Amino acid sequence: MKEKLEDYALSKSAQKQSDGIKVGLVGCGSMGQEIAVLVSKSGIELTFIEVSEKRIANAFMKMEEQIEEVISHWGMTSGDKRAIMSRINGSTNYEDLADCNIVIEAINTKKWVPNQPVRKEVFKKIEKVVSSDCVIISNASTIVISDLAVVLKRPCRAVGVHFLSPVLATKIIEVNRCISTNDEAIEKVYRFARMIGKDIIKVYGSPGNISTRLIVPMINEACGLLMEGVSTVEEIDKTMKIGYGMLRGPFSMADRIGLDKLTKWMEGLYNEYGDIRYKTSPLIRRMVRAGMLGRKSGEGFYYYENGKKIQKTGSLFNLGHKQKLF
Amino acid sequence: MKILVINSGSSSIKYQLFNMETSEVLAKGLVDKIGLNGSYLKNERLDGDKVKLEGNIYDHQNGIEYVLGVLISDKHGSLKSLDDIDAVGHRVVHGGEAFNDSVMITDEMISKMEELIELAPLHNPPNLKGIYAVTGLMPNIPQVGVFDTAFHQTMDPHSFMYAIPYSLYTKYGIRRYGFHGTSHRYVSNRVAELMNKDIKDLKIISCHLGNGASIAAIKHGKSVDTSMGLTPVEGLMMGTRTGDLDVGALTFIMSKEVIGIDATNTLLNKHSGVLGVSGVSSDMREVEDAAKAGNERALLALDMYQYRVKKYIGSYTAAMGGVDVIIFTGGIGENAVEIRENIVSNFEYLGLEFDNSKNKGVRAVEKELTKDSSKVKVWIVPTDEELVIARDTYEIVKAM
Repeated sequence: MKEKLEDYALSKSAQKQSDGIKVGLVGCGSMGQEIAVLVSKSGIELTFIEVSEKRIANAFMKMEEQIEEVISHWGMTSGDKRAIMSRINGSTNYEDLADCNIVIEAINTKKWVPNQPVRKEVFKKIEKVVSSDCVIISNASTIVISDLAVVLKRPCRAVGVHFLSPVLATKIIEVNRCISTNDEAIEKVYRFARMIGKDIIKVYGSPGNISTRLIVPMINEACGLLMEGVSTVEEIDKTMKIGYGMLRGPFSMADRIGLDKLTKWMEGLYNEYGDIRYKTSPLIRRMVRAGMLGRKSGEGFYYYENGKKIQKTGSLFNLGHKQKLF
Repeated sequence: MKILVINSGSSSIKYQLFNMETSEVLAKGLVDKIGLNGSYLKNERLDGDKVKLEGNIYDHQNGIEYVLGVLISDKHGSLKSLDDIDAVGHRVVHGGEAFNDSVMITDEMISKMEELIELAPLHNPPNLKGIYAVTGLMPNIPQVGVFDTAFHQTMDPHSFMYAIPYSLYTKYGIRRYGFHGTSHRYVSNRVAELMNKDIKDLKIISCHLGNGASIAAIKHGKSVDTSMGLTPVEGLMMGTRTGDLDVGALTFIMSKEVIGIDATNTLLNKHSGVLGVSGVSSDMREVEDAAKAGNERALLALDMYQYRVKKYIGSYTAAMGGVDVIIFTGGIGENAVEIRENIVSNFEYLGLEFDNSKNKGVRAVEKELTKDSSKVKVWIVPTDEELVIARDTYEIVKAM
């Protein structure tokens, strides 16, 4: 019979599993994929849930592409890639989350809808299979975690954690606790954050946290400047980049986030606060309708060819785009 | 006296249990993949009993608990109880300027080691985890820290300073420290023993050629120069590290490739060296095979590797005003027959007469490789860093 390591423990303390974290993830779209790679890179095993085998295969393919991209920029090695991929499992069955002690909801809804019924349903499904001390996290950035916590039998385990893209490189996460969240759950999340190498920004019950609430009005205002003909896309970006030392200007940022996702954030915040600052700029609405979603569609405020950003020329009303808006 | 030697890495712990009276290794082993999937412990006892135990090992303390558990177990153990262990010796990578010798570990020493984390963020934290774990499990046992950098603390400022604004040295301690000190110290003392000479009469160049590689100039028993610097990246070309590189080239690469500090570190430490040039492997055996099969880049990598070592031997000979003995150690130094031959070829001007017949097929044994008439001797001396750590621990604890 094969000998067990546990039989050689000096004391019971050696057998404790307190430091073992296994993470579950529901929804492995673009954000979920980034989260999965980050968690696994930190040496933690992760199981993700998707709706079909086809989507699971696609998620694996995209994660491999994401790592390849990092390798091509010298940030990882092929050995790292093998190790990361070996720790990620995909499933269509929620039961496979049963042994996870942290589960992250990162589903990609098509548009913002009041009351978040889909996310609530996911929260309920997670709670049905996990143990009583499992923490349930939502990555949604513009909703209050309390709204999701209410559907749980143990709402004290619900925490909002906002991962900012690019997830691997961004050194912070926003951790949003609600009134019902207990200290045990929040401590577990803090420990998890340390394990994945992120600094914690503590946020209290605010939809949009800090990051989304500040970036949304800036992008809207940048669109305002553009529509008024005050300046061009490139010059507005350059002003903020060089003038204020930002890594990216508002339009580069918008393209990177994705204008469809940005619209969801804006609708969520406008619905919550009713403040005009958050109301989606008509320019962004027009671009989304025309399929100009930013980097991911190859065209937004800039063109993207083979991953390279190319400046547009022309007036506001054609934006130099390949497809005509009007 | 029984001494447990611990070399605690980021996700592994290597250990050896010595009986200092009989100079025997009672047990040795490895805990690997700590905190990861597939973690295990491998133990080998003096009588040949071997065991591999698989299971969850969550952290370093957990790993060391299992090591101690196995060492005192009925089935695979070498000790009756933990009380039979008299002291624990730890390998610590970076000792900065604070440690020029091995020391008894006290709270004050731990604080000093914690301050040094900034200089070795990848290596010192896991070393400290090993110390914390032993302190937690055996609070009263004497522990000794043996530093990789300590042996090179005898370097003069003209060797260890970089030509950068002096304030950067005083503010951050940016200077050359050197590594593999425990290995260079062991092989240089051992070669003097083997040659029946006083180390104080010898000028030694020690080539530690492993996946990481460094070379040291040891004059009269003291390190006067070494190829690694503030970090282990400087100096010789290595398995995956660049070794010496024009820093202007580095800033150029960063600008062209649009990469930040983390990716640059990975580029220098993991994508470069023999692997980066050959595109084959970081394993020298595979690169040698590829070169023999006609792979031009593998051949280039080998040529560069050997040339860089040769160049350092030349410069250290100049630095010491001559050389009496060149030592090869480390995985490549001890085993790569042709690489040794190529490195010391054309050193006849120094009075070195290499004996190819003595070199042929020799792997990992203590042996002289030069002709009797050779003025400069070449030796293979397999390194034994654990033994040095055990001896230092023994001496310090005995003197308590």
